[in-house]
Amino acid sequence: MSWLGRAVARLNWLGRATPRLNWLGRGAARLMPGERRDWAEAVWAEAQQVPPGWPRLAWRAGGVWMIATQRRTGTLLLFAAAAGVAAWSAWPSPSVSDSAVERADVIATVVLLAGLPLMARQFFGPPDNRLARWLRAGCYAALLAFMPARAVLELFIGAVPRGGHDLHTFDVFEGHGVPGTVSGGLGVPGEVMILLMTSCYVAAGLALTARRAQLAPATLAVGAGAGLALGAVMYAVAPLGFNVKFPNRPWLHGSAMVPFEVLAWVLLFCAPLAAGLVAGLRSAKSVPLERVSATRARQGAAAGLVCSGVGALFVTVAGTGTTALLVKSAWVRSLLYHGQHLTASAIYGRELFASQDVPIYGLTCVIFPIIGLVMGVCWVGYTNVPGPQPEGGPGGPGGPGGPPGPEPLPDPPDGGRDLEVPELVGAGMGHLT
Amino acid sequence: MKSRREFSPQTLSVLAALCEQPSRWQHGYALAAATSLKSGTLYPILIRLADRGLVEACWQEEPQPGRPRRHLYRLTADGLASATEALNARARQQPAGRAATGAGDARQPRGRGVAAPAAQ
Repeated sequence: MSWLGRAVARLNWLGRATPRLNWLGRGAARLMPGERRDWAEAVWAEAQQVPPGWPRLAWRAGGVWMIATQRRTGTLLLFAAAAGVAAWSAWPSPSVSDSAVERADVIATVVLLAGLPLMARQFFGPPDNRLARWLRAGCYAALLAFMPARAVLELFIGAVPRGGHDLHTFDVFEGHGVPGTVSGGLGVPGEVMILLMTSCYVAAGLALTARRAQLAPATLAVGAGAGLALGAVMYAVAPLGFNVKFPNRPWLHGSAMVPFEVLAWVLLFCAPLAAGLVAGLRSAKSVPLERVSATRARQGAAAGLVCSGVGALFVTVAGTGTTALLVKSAWVRSLLYHGQHLTASAIYGRELFASQDVPIYGLTCVIFPIIGLVMGVCWVGYTNVPGPQPEGGPGGPGGPGGPPGPEPLPDPPDGGRDLEVPELVGAGMGHLT
Repeated sequence: MKSRREFSPQTLSVLAALCEQPSRWQHGYALAAATSLKSGTLYPILIRLADRGLVEACWQEEPQPGRPRRHLYRLTADGLASATEALNARARQQPAGRAATGAGDARQPRGRGVAAPAAQ
């Protein structure tokens, strides 16, 4: 042992650090999957052979590092750290009137985020590929970021205005509202609604990215990509909440907003449709002919759902976060309203409006997925209308179990409706093979 | 060429240490001393090698009194073949001058000359 090692070994902190590191390592080893736990035990057992002092401490520190860098353990530790920071940021002070409800909501959200993956693993299996894992991580990051942003706004909405101008502005906007009386958030019904919505999003995200869902990576990629585009455009249109009567738009004004609004409406319906179409066509390439329709429907619906869900989550979290920063940060206020000479009262009015408009994002979280699901499968009805079967098999115009269809149409001169599979492949439907 | 891409220099040093006595079970601390690798580097390498079926591991049956059982490692038949191939390929790729100085020192980690083990 070097002189430095001996000197360090004499220090008292080393004596205290060793058992703590031992405890930490043995505790962390329990987070490892069963088949890997032997390796953690091996490092700890081998530590007895290492000379005491600094070398043994370094050996055990290496063991802790090995445990932390295992995928599952690292994910758990990362989640614990992120959830701890989010909960600490969103934790209400005792002065908040509904602090008990707020605290219960924070705890319930963290428990929900931690517990649902364990349940989902039992029912749906683990994530199937790297993209699925990244999607889960993105969903969790968004939901954790949403917690402190929401806490800031809930506190601000009903808080006592900061001064004379603020009070005057509050009276103008709120009429007979009494400032400060509702300080502390949404109350029990509102918190339960948000918790329920969070549960639905987490459960849907876990189910769609699990192995048992059998979604192709391309389906997730297309859905997520289209969803990000949808969310980004929606966020550009309404970065500070949706308010039709008094729109609060810091960077797009007047006629400059019109193209974005049109694009947002188009994307709301066409992005899930396109995602479903692309995902369905791509995923059906490698399945047997008799399963093409079912595969298309499942992958198309999933892509539409992922698209709209990602879009809704993006615009909700980004919009809520921007509004929270508007309230909390003077730098963000000057960035958003750069070049506009606003009075303190006007700024307060914008903050108040934006904070009150944020709950409307919740509607997008409900409506968008419904639209996405419908648009994701509706194209299947069009593409799955096959031509008459040569031998009267299923899949005629009426479909299985439907009313009898009309008489088969006579063959067109080019035989277009009687294409055989190889011809369909040649016509760009290579997935049928 | 393929083997060179498959194994990092640290992994090659572990394989070289295990190749010295392929039939003998070795301890983690002995491997760490032979390769100069820290435990946080050595064990993930052993885990990956075991996952690929190149290394087998077991617990010591008769531990020393007062000491916990130790985890033991040795190369499998596949591991021995892969390690031999990788180390030979690496030795062939060494420049002549460095091969002359580095060959024979199987315990040199981090990309320095690793001797090709004797054919089994």
